[in-house]
Amino acid sequence: MSTPDSELDKHLQALFGGLDTGADFDARLMARLRAESQINATARAMRARQQERARYRRALAELQSRRRSMLRLLTLDTLGIALLLVVAVVTAWPHLSRDVMDISRQYGPYIATLLGVLIAAVPLLGMWAEQTRRPIRLP
Amino acid sequence: MLTDARVLELVRAERRDEAIALLLPAFRRKVFGLAYSFLRDREAAEDVTQDVFIKVWRALPGFDGRASLSTWIYAIARNASLSALRARRPQSSLSDPEVMDAVEALDPAPSADAILDRAALLRLVDQLPTKQRQVIMLFYMEEQSHEGVANMLAMPVGTVKTLLHRARARMSAAAGK
Repeated sequence: MSTPDSELDKHLQALFGGLDTGADFDARLMARLRAESQINATARAMRARQQERARYRRALAELQSRRRSMLRLLTLDTLGIALLLVVAVVTAWPHLSRDVMDISRQYGPYIATLLGVLIAAVPLLGMWAEQTRRPIRLP
Repeated sequence: MLTDARVLELVRAERRDEAIALLLPAFRRKVFGLAYSFLRDREAAEDVTQDVFIKVWRALPGFDGRASLSTWIYAIARNASLSALRARRPQSSLSDPEVMDAVEALDPAPSADAILDRAALLRLVDQLPTKQRQVIMLFYMEEQSHEGVANMLAMPVGTVKTLLHRARARMSAAAGK
């Protein structure tokens, strides 16, 4: 014979023992997870793209800054070389033979003009090279 | 057999979906029961159960294994159930017609006496204080494991035994009236 307590146990067991979600619960959950996963993947891809763009812009700015520095250096170098040449010519002038002095007197203006053109052309060439190198655009 | 280590291994391998597929059969009923014990509404409990697994899926990469998976999942389930409970007004009861229908749906062909018994029993359970009601529901859902209920409700086993004893006594007294 069963006691009232065991009867109560039996009824409660019958009432709550089979408690479970609906049959389509797992399918609905997995569908939600797939959607969530898709959203996450899209967000991750967008973040990666933005990071890549930022990295590209930083690299480009760095490259441009380096080119400008090179250009400044090149201009200063050319001026320095021209100055050295002038100093060398002035120093060597009294020791040069009459023939060389005659030739230099004859072609002096041309040599000076050529030197001036060279000094002016180097930075101009550098600037031209800088302008013709267009940055690669991201699609 | 499901182990916390296996789940952690899958998470580290960025195979969260597989980890959830492992967790689902082990915890679905328990999480649903826990949510149901708070909400006393089948549909709301299912929604909360879904949300709990979504939260678990999102949080799995941060799970460090310091607490056991079950403790962690039950904590998420309790918080989600309490949030849903706070958001929901007015509160339904176990003896509401909708809840009765949901419980009856567990047994495809109950007899007329069984329906009457269930209705009376549900009303008795419904009249219990919250903690006692939760313990009663989870104890009989959890195949009468005090430890299982204690883990789900984050309370000592002794408290579960006391609450269960009081609930049974109260129900027996009410049924004997």
